[in-house]
Amino acid sequence: MNMPDAQTPTHGFELQAQAANFVQADTLNPVKLQVKDLHFKYQNGHEVLKGVNLELRDKTVTAFIGPSGCGKSTLLRVFNRMYNLYPGQVVTGEVLLDGRNILSNSEDLNRLRSKVGMVFQKPTPFPMTIYENIAFGIRLYEKISKAEMNNRVESALRETALWDEVKDKLHQSGLGLSGGQQQRLCIARAVAVKPEVLLLDEPASALDPISTAKIEDLIGKLASDYCIAIVTHNMQQAARTSLFTAFMYLGDVIEFDKTETIFTAPKQQRTNDYVTGRFG
Amino acid sequence: MAMTDAASAPGVSPSDEAFARRLRRQDAIFVNLTWASATLVVVVLLGVLISLLIDALPAIRAFGLPFIWNERWSPAKEIFGAAAPIYGTLVTSAIAMVIGIPVSFGIAIFLTEICPQPLRRPIGTAIELLAGIPSIIYGLWGFFVLAPIMQTSVQPFLTDTLGQLPGIGILFSGAPYGIGLLTAGIVLAIMILPFITSVTRDVFNTVPVMLRESAYGMGMTTWEVVRHIIIPYTRLGLVGGIMLGLGRALGETMAVTFVIGNSHRIAASLLSPATTISASIANEFAEATEGLYTSSLVALGLILFFITFSVLAFAKWLLGRTEKF
Repeated sequence: MNMPDAQTPTHGFELQAQAANFVQADTLNPVKLQVKDLHFKYQNGHEVLKGVNLELRDKTVTAFIGPSGCGKSTLLRVFNRMYNLYPGQVVTGEVLLDGRNILSNSEDLNRLRSKVGMVFQKPTPFPMTIYENIAFGIRLYEKISKAEMNNRVESALRETALWDEVKDKLHQSGLGLSGGQQQRLCIARAVAVKPEVLLLDEPASALDPISTAKIEDLIGKLASDYCIAIVTHNMQQAARTSLFTAFMYLGDVIEFDKTETIFTAPKQQRTNDYVTGRFG
Repeated sequence: MAMTDAASAPGVSPSDEAFARRLRRQDAIFVNLTWASATLVVVVLLGVLISLLIDALPAIRAFGLPFIWNERWSPAKEIFGAAAPIYGTLVTSAIAMVIGIPVSFGIAIFLTEICPQPLRRPIGTAIELLAGIPSIIYGLWGFFVLAPIMQTSVQPFLTDTLGQLPGIGILFSGAPYGIGLLTAGIVLAIMILPFITSVTRDVFNTVPVMLRESAYGMGMTTWEVVRHIIIPYTRLGLVGGIMLGLGRALGETMAVTFVIGNSHRIAASLLSPATTISASIANEFAEATEGLYTSSLVALGLILFFITFSVLAFAKWLLGRTEKF
């Protein structure tokens, strides 16, 4: 976690970063998901998110970093309203997906979740074959022919660089794959339904370095098609995969900027302390 | 263990040595006692099996294997066949399963997926209390409450509707007695409900939270999550729970004896009176005076022993496999 260069950012460095920001400002993709004054409370009154404001841009990777319990996973679980599974959790504020507030009561959760896919800390293949793991999700939303389904399954597996590894055992259980393969299967399953937003909650935290590298490669490739939000404890991973980074601490977004800026010239002392490994 | 090791280490006084010896002796007594208790279980099991075999021997000698498929049961002529009780046992248990399994699954799904948190414990406890009601009470209730209702409303209704259908109509034909296979099956279904429900709820709770969330995260409805994720993931445990319920239904005596009708006949209609193995034994033991009659009843018991034993063994085997899964 030590990045000695960043510990004492020079002025030259800061200026460079700002210049980079300025030049790229008008080439950024449009905003996909906008979060406005978002508060999240558990049933016991504990407030996990205390007024979060930020926006995720389309076809861009945004990373969320911060110490455990800072609310980054909770924030992700607001984007697909996973918290609705647990009564008593109260959310106020707005989350606009293409300008539509997804927190409104009239939002259809099944449709929302088809647009906002999620991948979890640990691989969670469904108890069915590899083929069915992917086909099942597609079938929830679309009625397509067998041949078309085969194409969709193949393209989802190719998109996640899994096709060559599993093409001979499509009809075996997904549980027989290695951890890294299972996780890529879960990503394939999520992209197969053609979502607009992809939420990755520490997708590589349970994997070995080689599998992690493959997942990161994959995130890089998927970035050109989806709006991706990734929560990670691994700061190099955030630095490698994302264009924007939000540093969160105790329910607040302390700093939200270009990843480059966050890691090389953070404006907040706390961000600097965290990315240089002095706490957290 | 750690204590005795420490006490016998070099450089300890003789009194410590004596203390350690006493501890070792106490431990030896304790270990032997637990061994004896465990051995007792096996001895009792084998003892029951052997005494059943010995007492059933006269009947086995007299009737041989045809005892199992002979329907005639005539104490006056000393001809005994086990077909009717075996049939009654299997059919009442099957009815209990057909009614009990869906209801138990429904309760378990409600408790794990839908029920608001504060209500989970009270409802769960209520179901476990059902298991604590003595079977004689179910028998009394079945005879005095359920059977009249069956006779006056349910059975005539079934005869008028399902009874008119070709094929399965024969299952619901004949006069409404109130008591019989169907009534016994319903009482059994209520009795096995708490057993299947609690096992089902427990195995449903073994589904990892993340797997459930990822299923909901795909946009599945509660029904789709239960049908395609939770049930397949827990299928072996579910079969185990069903088998435990079945084992109980097969052996249940008192409640069934009240409402089965105690008739040694095999009739196609589920409304007709019949008998089960345990009901026959409970009902006829007092009047069985001479050897062959008693011996035939014991042979019935032996058959039930084997049926229940194989069901439970199968369940244990399946449950063992779930843990590895």
